[in-house]
Amino acid sequence: MRNAWLAKVVSACFTAMAGSVVLAADNDGLVLPEGFSALVVHEGQGTARHLDVAANGDIYLAGEKGLSALRDTNGDGKADVVTPFGDVQGTEVRIFGNWLYVSDDVGVYRYPLKKGELAPSGKRETVVSGFPKERQHADKTFALDAKGTLYINVGAPSNSCQEKDRQEGSLGMNPCPILEKYGGVWVFDGTKLNQTPANGRRFATGTRNAVAIEWNAAQNSLFAVIHGRDSIDTLFPRLYNAEDNATRQAEEFHEIVDGGNYGWPYTFFDTKLGKRVLAPEYGGDKTKEPEAGKYPNPLVAFPAHWAPNDLLFYSGKSFPAKYRGGAFIAFHGSWNRAPEPQAGYKVVFQPMKGGKANGPYEVFADGFAGEMKDNSPNNARYRPVGLAVGPDGSLFVSDSQKGRVWRISYAGK
Amino acid sequence: MTMRTWIPAALAACFFVAARAWADEPTPGQSLYNKHCLSCHQADGGGVPRMQPAIAGGTWVQGDARALALFVMSGGFDSAARKESNVDNVMPPFRQLTDEDLAAILTYIRAKFGNGASPVTVPDIAEARTSLP
Repeated sequence: MRNAWLAKVVSACFTAMAGSVVLAADNDGLVLPEGFSALVVHEGQGTARHLDVAANGDIYLAGEKGLSALRDTNGDGKADVVTPFGDVQGTEVRIFGNWLYVSDDVGVYRYPLKKGELAPSGKRETVVSGFPKERQHADKTFALDAKGTLYINVGAPSNSCQEKDRQEGSLGMNPCPILEKYGGVWVFDGTKLNQTPANGRRFATGTRNAVAIEWNAAQNSLFAVIHGRDSIDTLFPRLYNAEDNATRQAEEFHEIVDGGNYGWPYTFFDTKLGKRVLAPEYGGDKTKEPEAGKYPNPLVAFPAHWAPNDLLFYSGKSFPAKYRGGAFIAFHGSWNRAPEPQAGYKVVFQPMKGGKANGPYEVFADGFAGEMKDNSPNNARYRPVGLAVGPDGSLFVSDSQKGRVWRISYAGK
Repeated sequence: MTMRTWIPAALAACFFVAARAWADEPTPGQSLYNKHCLSCHQADGGGVPRMQPAIAGGTWVQGDARALALFVMSGGFDSAARKESNVDNVMPPFRQLTDEDLAAILTYIRAKFGNGASPVTVPDIAEARTSLP
């Protein structure tokens, strides 16, 4: 009896050792809450964008070198099989049922995920294509609900809908014609193929660029964190200075509802005043407010220019209870705060309850940017972009500087 | 501290602060670069990945002074720069700046980011301005 018990313990130890991840001694320079550890899963597929993790732990990553499938075959947490596949050089990656949905600047596509296959061998199918090719805010990030409804972020190819984009003193076009085709969320049937933008319906408007867009299954609703406008100081120097530009325009976190209007380009939420004000292009004088009740206030007003690039409602079980159902947000980090110090470059946790913010946000993972010589984003060590949850509840984070992928796990009690 | 020792100490401190301020004082060209150009092209001229191109060491910065002036006053999108830097944003025109301010900015960026390219003069800007549409 005693020997059998001993054999079981020894066997369990060997099993645990064989499958144990090797954590970086210093968490790879990331600063995490107590009990959390980071491990470098992979680097080498060029600069990365978003990622997703399958139920079997396989990782699908979009980036500079197109799409890649990553697998850890020996249980040390590091990807040892890396297979590039497909012909989409894009941004978003989402697993939905037996499909891998991906996107680029002009469309959303899908590949079949077959059991046992790492890289999909099946043909790419087009779900929606034909969005106009734009330079600014062109990445088509998207979310899918449980029925396969597809919500696509169509960013505005403009900063603030000025008659002359990003030119000092140029006033805003009124009404802003860009909103007819951009600056909103368009909805499609994500299970139908070969659609064009004309098959979609504008679900919500006034979202300048809702890169961080996510379906919240528990709330049965769509949420997004939106990139706010740039350059209030250089465009309207008589009203705003560099410090104002670096601190006032919120990155707005909203529940995105059918028919909602979130205020771009006519307004922005001023974090210093704690209220929504008219944009200087549309008669704003620093304090003038839009018509009461016309646009919702954000659930959370995050600091200016932090660049929210991914949103994830934590559905894993391995993190402490307070994280469950809360929101992780990957902030890519600022460029438009210069000459003021750059900021962002971190993963934040926002406690949530019933679809609303439940207390202040906390910095969850920091230390990505490093010293950042000359206050220049180009010199950031890493910049977080994408988030995903693995089958064991670990949080995966991708980086756009070197293409590094981390796995953040909880081992505390 | 007596008054006799306090006064020289205060003078020395003032001199030290003034000397530091003098040493750190940006040139007019640098101040104007910080105001009009830095948020996109950054303090090191390195630009922003995927958004604005690096100007440090760029062909425009160290090339012909009048061509550079005309490009900065016209704005636009240089396809060669896109190939090099894969950037998204279009440069707004800066023709609203005076000849003197443009000459100071371009002289600064050529000295700092242009491998020692020659200064840009006010007549260079004036001549380039005549080619604007």
